[in-house]
Formats: sequence, C-alpha cells, structure tokens
Amino acid sequence: MKKFVVFITGLLIILPMTLLFYKSEVLNLSLIPQMVDDVWNFHLTVKPKGEQLSFSFPIPKPGPGQKISDEKLRTKDIEVFIDSSSDSSLATWSAKEPIKVRMTYSARVDLDRVVYKNIPKDYTERYPKGLQKYLKIPQLLPEDITAIETLERAILEGSEDKTSLVRKIYYYVEEEIQRNTAIKTIHETLNTGKGSPLIKAKLFNIMARRNGVPSRIVILARMPDLKDDQENKIRFTFANEVFLSNKWVPIDTNRGYFAERPDTFMVIYRNYEEVEKLISKKKVSYSIQAERARINRYNKAEFRKEVVKSDSIFSKFSLYRLPLPLQTMFTTILLIPIGTLVLSLARNIIGVPTFGIFTPILLALFFKETSFGFGMLFFFIVVLIGIFERYILDKFYLLAVPRLSIILTMIIMLMISYAFFSVDLAFISQKHLAFFPIVIITTIIERLSIQLAEEGIVNTLKTLFGTLVISVLVYSLYFISPLEMFMFTNPELLFTIIGLLILVGKYKGYRLSEFIRFRDLVRQKKKMESQPHDLP
Amino acid sequence: MIFRDLKEMGILGINNRVGRYILRHNKRANYPLVDNKVLTAQRAEAWGIATPENYLIVENYGSLKNLHIKLLDYDSFVIKPSKGSQGNGIIVIKEIIKEEKNGEVRILCRRSNDKLMEIDEVKHHISGILSGLYSLGGQSDTAIIQAKIDKHPIFDDFSYGGIPDIRVIVFEGFPVMSMVRLPTKSSDGRANLHQGAIGAGLNLSNGWTNNAVIRNQVIDVHPDTGHHLSGLKLPFWREILELAARCYDMVELGYLGADIVLTPDQGPILLELNARPGLGIQIANLAGLVPRLEDIRLNAPKDLLAKERVEYSMKKF
Repeated sequence: MKKFVVFITGLLIILPMTLLFYKSEVLNLSLIPQMVDDVWNFHLTVKPKGEQLSFSFPIPKPGPGQKISDEKLRTKDIEVFIDSSSDSSLATWSAKEPIKVRMTYSARVDLDRVVYKNIPKDYTERYPKGLQKYLKIPQLLPEDITAIETLERAILEGSEDKTSLVRKIYYYVEEEIQRNTAIKTIHETLNTGKGSPLIKAKLFNIMARRNGVPSRIVILARMPDLKDDQENKIRFTFANEVFLSNKWVPIDTNRGYFAERPDTFMVIYRNYEEVEKLISKKKVSYSIQAERARINRYNKAEFRKEVVKSDSIFSKFSLYRLPLPLQTMFTTILLIPIGTLVLSLARNIIGVPTFGIFTPILLALFFKETSFGFGMLFFFIVVLIGIFERYILDKFYLLAVPRLSIILTMIIMLMISYAFFSVDLAFISQKHLAFFPIVIITTIIERLSIQLAEEGIVNTLKTLFGTLVISVLVYSLYFISPLEMFMFTNPELLFTIIGLLILVGKYKGYRLSEFIRFRDLVRQKKKMESQPHDLP
Repeated sequence: MIFRDLKEMGILGINNRVGRYILRHNKRANYPLVDNKVLTAQRAEAWGIATPENYLIVENYGSLKNLHIKLLDYDSFVIKPSKGSQGNGIIVIKEIIKEEKNGEVRILCRRSNDKLMEIDEVKHHISGILSGLYSLGGQSDTAIIQAKIDKHPIFDDFSYGGIPDIRVIVFEGFPVMSMVRLPTKSSDGRANLHQGAIGAGLNLSNGWTNNAVIRNQVIDVHPDTGHHLSGLKLPFWREILELAARCYDMVELGYLGADIVLTPDQGPILLELNARPGLGIQIANLAGLVPRLEDIRLNAPKDLLAKERVEYSMKKF
C-alpha cells in the first residue's frame, strides 16, 4: 500500500517534469511565451496662449509600427473635433469664450521598430496629385540656392535612381552637418556646416524635393530612457520621411537611421509644414509625457505559432488553441490548484485556522476580480454584519432560513449603497461577480456569527485573521505573472500539484501551531524532570 | 528541530491523529452512532449501558407549540442538540417557575447558572437546534430533552456550577488515557476545556488525579473552591473504565472518546461518545498519547473482553 502511494505520487510529480524537459530540450519550445512590454502611457497637455476661441494641436495617429488604444480626450465643456483624414490627426478645440484651461490627451501607445531592408531602385517620374505638395520647394534666398546647387553637384554625382539619391543626401546631412541647436536657419547652416535637428530635417527635405523625391518633415516624440526613471517629460524632435518605391520610408539624419525608425520614437505628425504655426510656442504652451505602462503582457500569438510549428502532440493539446475568452478564464483558474496547495500547507502544516475550507480561495478570487481595497472593505463590512447578526438579530428569535435571507438581503442593500457612493462599478456590472459574493458572503457571515457565539470574540478574530492571511497569500499569486503564464503554457503541471497535495495529505507530523499549543506541556514536563523526585 | 521535544514525549498531533488513528481505525459508516445522540442512546439501551433518561425528542418545529405543557411535567431537564459537539447548544434548566400575573401565565426557566429564561427563549433555542445551528455539519438536527444529572458529592469541593465529566480515550477497546473536566466560574459551569474548565489527568491504574491544567496552565488548586486538586480520587474507577471499554464493542470505533458522568445514585453512566476526541487530554496528563497507542497496536492481545482490556490498561499505564 505504502509503496503504491509512493509510486503514484512520484509518477504524478516526475512525469510532468519530464514532459517539461522534453518540450524545452527536444522540441526547443519556450516554457513561457516571450514578454512584450513596449506599451507606453502617453500624455499631452496643451493650453492656448492669449485670447483664442479655437486652437488645434496634433495628436498621434496609428500607423506603421505604432498602435494606439485607450485614447482619452478631456475637454470640459469645450468642443473637440478630430481631423484624421490625412496621414496624421489634428485635434481642434473650440468654445464660445476664450479657452483658458488646459486640454489633455492621453493614450496607450504600442511602438514597434519600423525597418525596410533593401529598398529597390526607384525611377519614378510622375507622382499622383496627392503627393505634389511634398515636392513643393520652399522659398530660399538666392545665395542659398546657389550654395545648395554647388553642394548637389559635389555629392550627387552619378546617381541614376531616387533611392541612391536619397541615400547620398542622407549621408551628407547626417555626417557633414554638425548638431548645434543654436543654428536655426538654412542660411546659417549652409555657411557654418552646423544645424539644429529641425534645420537638419529641413535641409534634407529641401534637397530631396529639389531632386524630385516626395519628402516631408515628421514630428517625433522620443520616449524617455528607461534607466532614467525620474524624467518622464519629453520634447518634440524632428526627422524625415521620403516616398520611395510606393511607401513612406523613415529617415533620421539627426540620430542616423536610414529606412528605419527604432521603437523608442513615436510619430506625432507627419507633415511639419502644416502644423508649424499651430505648435509654435507663441500660440500654445504644451507638455508631453510618457511612461512605461505597468502592464506586462505575453506574446501569446507568437507562442501559439511556435507550438503549432513544432507539430508535436502538444500542439493539439495546447490551451493556446482555445478561443481568447476561454484562455483568459483558464489563466485565472489554473492558479486555483496552486492556491489550494498554499491553503493545504497553511492549514495542515502550519495550522492556520480558517472559516470553511475553500473560503480563503473564494475570497482571493473576489479580491482579484474586484480590487484588494474593495475586497478588504467588503470583508470588514462582512465582519460587522456578523456581529450585527450575533448581537441584534439574535434577539428577534428567527428561524434559520428567514434569518439567513435577511442577511442576504442586507448584502444586496450594501451593494446598492456602494454603487451610489462609488464610481468604480466594475464589480457590479459583471453578472457573475454580483452573484458571486452574495451567496458566499452570506454563508461566511452565518459561520462567523455562530463562531462568535460558541468560541467568543478572540477565537473568531484569530480565525478571521487566518482566513484573511491565506486569501491574501493566494491573491498575491496572481501578481506573479510568469507563474500564471507557466501554468497556462504547461497545464500538465496540475498532475504535479496533485502529487504534492498527496504529500501534504500524507503528512502526519506536527503542525507548527501545535508547537505553541503544547509548549507549556513540554516546559512543565521538563521542569518536573529537573526537580529531584520526592520519595513516595 | 523544534518538534523534537514533542516527538520525544510522544505527543499526538492533529495530522497524526487523523491520518494514523482516526482514518485507519474508525469506520465512517459507524460515525452516526456517536455523532447522533439519539442513536447513541438507542444503541446503549440495547447494550445495557446506562445513559441519562431522554424525556422528549423534538424533531420538528410543529411540536414546539405545546412544548411548555409537556415541560411542566419535569422539575429540571437538559436541552441538547442530537448532533452537537463540544457541549455547544446545551442548556441546563434546574427549575421551572410558573408565575401568574393579571390572569396571564408566565413560565420561566432557571438555568444552572441561575439566569432566568422565558419559555419563548427556550423554544427559540430549540428551534435553533432544529435548524442545525449547533450540529456538526450544519444540517438540520433534532433536540433532546433529557433528565438533568445530579452532581456526585465527591465533586462538591472540586466543581463550580455544573457537572464534571470524565473523558476516557479508548483505543481498540483499551482505555489509554483519562481526565476529569471540572467546571469553573470562567467556564460558566460547563465542563469544556476551551471555555476555561479544569482538565485534571487521571492515573489509569487507580483513578487519582495526577496533574491539572486550566487553559494549558498547570494549577494546584481549584480557582473557585480553593481545594487542592491532587486530593481527588474517583470512586467506581474500574466501573468507569469498563463502561468506556464496552463502548468500543457497542459502536466499533477503534479511536474513541467516551464521556462519562458519575451520578449519586446510579454510579457511572455514559453521557456521550466522540469519534474525534480532542488532544488537550495530553496537556491535562502531562503525557503523550503516542507511546500508549502504539503499545496497544503492537503488543496488546486481541479478542479480549472489556474487563480483561481494562485489566491490561490499568496494569500498563
């Protein structure tokens, strides 16, 4: 019998481990999907200067390498109109009286590196009408034109196609023009060989257009350095885009990227000329901020591809094949067995007293589905109702079922009053959550009130505390996202958990709490033994 | 390890009690015989084991209505849930008072702690029992109205309020450890260790107390009566142990706690049985259960009569 148990337990624990080893070593599968955490919280605040009834400001627009979600515009009685008809978005706020308050825009931005390798040679002669404006050469001083012409003769010698033309202009502006923020006109730049980021972008723009390549200046926001936690404030900076082989190709002469935009840059507006006046410091004051969103997520989609590609038996039995809502559900409930393991350890090895058996687990799920603060508040109120039942409802001499029903009704009343006083309605709006606490909490209250009557307040508080500690412990499991992912990716580990539970169930040693309970016994016994024995 | 001392003393822990003794020696099917006091009483009658007389069994709410008329037949009684544990839900009524005021009849019950209860309160308490408020699993229950037992004069100096009871742990029919629980003021007259009653370990060989504790603390004198607890020797000691040992034959549970009370006229009678007796008895005796249990398991001869088993235990422990 004993050998049999050991064999089964060993099998349950070792087999999934072997599978894990096989998956990672033989099939070369990752044990959890890759983390992606390139999501940024982006904030923009703008305020017009002087007496303006209406003003506009660029806001980011989704595009290549740039996903935008959770956009929020707070306007406070001021109308806002967003024009997204071009490659960029422009928000226009207008009111009947001069706008004196700050407008805010915030969004979650997911950035990816954009890179084009091997752009083919481009011999395009004619461009569609929509691109004509990107070929218009701005007004320049005659001597500047002469200077540029001389320059072009020197650097563009022998170029036949537009791709190589662009590449040569890029090399020139990137390498020959030194960065100097004090130099703010083309004229000065041509004379000194220095220029600010904007001027470098402008020079590139002019030279590309002069050579028949549609080009534009792009307003970028550079995301803050992750190592530098303090500085979230960011400024606009400038780069270019040129139209080569039917697509807009990013060029950055300031930081040296050709046909590439790293994932630390976000495009704010794609045609600087259009908004030059709007973002001028004379018209508006603005500030932009970005910080890493605290949500880490896993690239499940990629992992699914990886699993399917492996063409092993695991690809057929992977939870990644399930529809997304089911996946989300299983990610949550796959941690419950680990929670029960924690509970078993706490109860049988440490000896923590709890209400009911699975109450701490249910409470942990309640914390997870609502929030910790709300969960605690709810728990506290539950204790109050328990005391109420014990000391007030008891006097009514009610039969058990109606008495419990009163408690249940009171919980519903509580939820209504919570809904009145709180904006956070998330927990009520979801059906299962509303049903969830009512029934469980009712039974907890009843048990609580009985224990209050039978064992007094001290023991009840101990049990309450035990329940709370374990539920917080189980709840905290949900913050270990690799654990969540690990279980979801390798659900065969559930067998290991059963194996471990058998081990806990087989534990016949003392509980830690018994060390305290029998402490006096040991002390007395020792004292008696150390004393000389009296003669009978 | 911090548990070394416990192990050396052979202290039985909860996990060990459940895993090694209760699960292996107690058949689940026999639990109702001890968990349900109505069944215990029926079985005991068949086996000729003395128990307190059951006056009434209240099984449904309907019979509550005229209950007071029936109760007036008795001078005193005890109300207890049939499936209760640890003495919860038990009320002892020592006197019934009938008052007539302005033509209205009021019935008051005086409890053992001298508090007065209206008859409606008593009925509410019984309805609480019926709804399962005190039963082990919370299922609906029946209430027992039972004869109140009087205190044996030997306990006069050692008990405050209620009736002391004697707990005997019986393993495979052999008494292995015993204690007497003496009510105190702080236990509200109840013989319940959790509520502050005294637990006094008893020498199995002669029925003398060997040690006494109150809430895990060793004491020498009864806090309310001031008498030295070492001066207590239980009469009818062999009968008490035999009664406990026979309960094993009656319910066939290998690991059993028998609660026995000493009556002034009938001698020892069985109050109730427990399939999961607590571990506090080890503190009362300053001794561990494990060596005794293992001795029975490994060395005790099988197929003995209750009398012979008691003989074995009295010699051995």
